[in-house]
Amino acid sequence: MTDIRIPQDLWDVSDTPEGVVANWLYRDGSEVPARATVAEIMVEKATFEIDAPVAGRLTISVPKDGVVRPGSVIGRIDAT
Amino acid sequence: MPSNRVLTGSRAMVEAIAHEMRADPKVLVMGEDVGAYGGIFSSTTGLLDEFGEERVRDTPISETAFIGAGVGAAMAGMRPIVELMFVDFFGVCMDAIYNMAAKNTYFSAGHCKVPMVLMTATGGGYDDGGQHSQTLHATFAHLPGMKVVAPSNAYDAKGLMTSAIRDDSPVLYMFHKGLQGLAWMAAPEGASAEVPEESYTIPFGEARVAREGSDVTIVAISMAVHHALAAAEALAKEGADAEVIDLRSLVPLDREAVLRSVAKTGRLVVVDEDYRSFGLTAEVITSVVETDPGLLKSAPRRVAFPDVPIPYARPMEQFCLPDPGKIQAAVAQTLGKVPA
Repeated sequence: MTDIRIPQDLWDVSDTPEGVVANWLYRDGSEVPARATVAEIMVEKATFEIDAPVAGRLTISVPKDGVVRPGSVIGRIDAT
Repeated sequence: MPSNRVLTGSRAMVEAIAHEMRADPKVLVMGEDVGAYGGIFSSTTGLLDEFGEERVRDTPISETAFIGAGVGAAMAGMRPIVELMFVDFFGVCMDAIYNMAAKNTYFSAGHCKVPMVLMTATGGGYDDGGQHSQTLHATFAHLPGMKVVAPSNAYDAKGLMTSAIRDDSPVLYMFHKGLQGLAWMAAPEGASAEVPEESYTIPFGEARVAREGSDVTIVAISMAVHHALAAAEALAKEGADAEVIDLRSLVPLDREAVLRSVAKTGRLVVVDEDYRSFGLTAEVITSVVETDPGLLKSAPRRVAFPDVPIPYARPMEQFCLPDPGKIQAAVAQTLGKVPA
């Protein structure tokens, strides 16, 4: 099991403490390839892409529109 | 591995454009903020990084100049994709769109093609005022010489964009802002869709049956398709089985698909976010009535934006916009359940 974690340095929290999950690009429970972009995070009006760390089955833990911070785990991937 | 990616409308558009740019060096993109910004509605995100400033060109804020340049580039053999940031801004550049792009193929007896895609953002519902919220479908569909398409979901957005780029005629590609999957603007559930990684086309003039039904036909396009589908689900709970037709393109218009459906259901409601009078709703209804008025068991109804400039105030705009409740009420009228 590998966490999908928002990088600690993705944005400056002194400017903007929180972001939101803008979109998941795969459905919960689906197979994703390694390095595929799986989610978009929006901070202010900027969008950041989050990639799958490994290939496997995706479990979403923070749904679309959920609030996130740098370091947040938004889902996990179980190798299949 | 077959793709199970669920793409947003904007990503689907970008994927189609990028594929065609890789395949054909004549394809280029021009417009306001299409470069580093990636399009204010994310229609060109990432293209500058892959293709560079020669092929992804930020333009000055002069639609007259850069759409005119697009027409010239197209006639000189390029295949430009030009973005008109909001369709509402067409006023300053209509000569380039209508007297040049739409007509030059005809004026030259077919010797000069104009293979330009003019992509433009449409639609309201997010409190942006009357000069940023229109759809203006009929304004362009009314004028001969251009093809006009308006996808309702990401799968169609990619396929229609690929078709538009490969078409030798000018194509107006009207994408609704609320279907782009932008983080700062709510999108209906069905706007994102599974999109194959490989290239594919969707032919113009082929409507899609978005939901099969037997009691009433609801014809819609773009965002209105999602309102129609929501209305159909609510109607199903009341025992009415609605068929929803997504036209996908206004020009050419798939009148046959409408006729086939109405021949089955006998009832017709047409939904469009564009203004009510002189528009798509009237055109679709006329297509049925002038072919065979006997197909209809009741008077057809239309749900569209009232003939007023779009209000800025949210309660006033929402009062005017088509929504599932207004569609349900119109369907009830066709079914004789409430006084017309």
